[in-house]
Amino acid sequence: METITLQELNGRVKSTLQFEMPDAYWVQAEISGISPSGQGHCYLELVQKDTTGRTFLAKAKANVWRNTWLKLKPYFEAETGESLKVGMKVLLQVTVTFHEVYGYSLVVWDIDPTYTMGDMARRRKEILDQLAKDGVIGLNRELEIPMLPQRIAVISSATAAGYGDFCNQLASNVYGFRFYVKLFQAAMQGDDVERSVIAALDSVAARMDDFDVVIIIRGGGAVSELSCFDSYNLAYNIANFPLPIITGIGHERDDTVADVVAHTKVKTPTAAAEFIISKVFDTAQVLEGLARRMGDAVTGRMNAEAVRLERLAQKLPSLFAVLKVRNEQMLENIWNRSVNGMRNLLTVKNHRLELLEKSIAAADPALILKRGFSLTRCNGHVVNRVSDLKPGDRLTTVLADGTVESEIVG
Amino acid sequence: MKYEEAVKRLEEIVTEIEGGKLDMDKIGESLKEARELIKFCKDKLYETDEEIKKILETDD
Repeated sequence: METITLQELNGRVKSTLQFEMPDAYWVQAEISGISPSGQGHCYLELVQKDTTGRTFLAKAKANVWRNTWLKLKPYFEAETGESLKVGMKVLLQVTVTFHEVYGYSLVVWDIDPTYTMGDMARRRKEILDQLAKDGVIGLNRELEIPMLPQRIAVISSATAAGYGDFCNQLASNVYGFRFYVKLFQAAMQGDDVERSVIAALDSVAARMDDFDVVIIIRGGGAVSELSCFDSYNLAYNIANFPLPIITGIGHERDDTVADVVAHTKVKTPTAAAEFIISKVFDTAQVLEGLARRMGDAVTGRMNAEAVRLERLAQKLPSLFAVLKVRNEQMLENIWNRSVNGMRNLLTVKNHRLELLEKSIAAADPALILKRGFSLTRCNGHVVNRVSDLKPGDRLTTVLADGTVESEIVG
Repeated sequence: MKYEEAVKRLEEIVTEIEGGKLDMDKIGESLKEARELIKFCKDKLYETDEEIKKILETDD
């Protein structure tokens, strides 16, 4: 049996590989480690896991040499909006190499970003499906943005340009609307996004009565690193949040899961401010409309009343004429009735007078004297009792045709 | 009072006057109330509310 050195053995493996597998291969793998080197190369750890995601089925080192990395990195980032990172599924064009000292490794020549994007889209879909299954996906979208979304809780990082853009845009609105903004700090990129945004949401929820809406914003960069917003936990918190949430996390591509479950999604922080301003503008328009309607209604009513009064005023003279005729008739009736009354009264009185006249006539003393009666006086007094007289008194007796003097003898 | 409530009340008043059934004597009162509501809403839109400012400045 031939005896060879390790170097010789490795040399044979190397040449066999080179001879048997000289071509480049497109390989699907997941990145389990990534470390850029000081020289500008990039060293990757690639793995393949089984369906449970817990067992490795294959593992390999892959090197991206400086010249390749310089082109490949910006290309990948421009296409996906993401930088290569652990956990990412990639499709790489590689050749197989073997080094006597460092062993088996791959050299990366190219990358297909559409594969990674497809994988990210599939993961987003899985998360969205789960959120739908859990019955929370539409909850935040069902909330109503208040008429006056003035008190705004902003979740962002203070250093992000986006926050400044948002505040400036609000403050400089041409209508002069007032807004009140409070910042709740959170990481907007990196591994801490999920935890810190959820913590910020909790802080807002603890005093939700102080706010009308929540805005999650971040300024755009060359690489947007949005996959951290494709998180089930973050999306679950957003969907369940009691206030409407508006996202403006700065991207042009597919919506992140956070965008999908938020009440409203806009592209940039500036657009988020514009959205809020336009809401308040609508509200101001409603108020103007009501004020105008109020004015019209009152003016209309006043005019209608004026017309009514005018009509009444026109009717007055004729009404008055009717009234006058009626009054005149009434007066005439009263007059007639009084005159008749007086007449009747006078007739009654006359009758009575006639009767009186008759009885007075019957009582005339001349008539009585004519019938044979006489009137006797003594010293000017009418005598009607014998006891009033004594012998010697002189009597004057009146008869119908004259008087007789006589003296009492006994 | 909330902005929403003020607008709702204003809407009621306007609809009532538009209906034409309101007494002329009451229109004056309604007009006064409507003016106050409009002022309240405009203040909310265009004037800084120091109280809200103070509340938001405090940290939890």
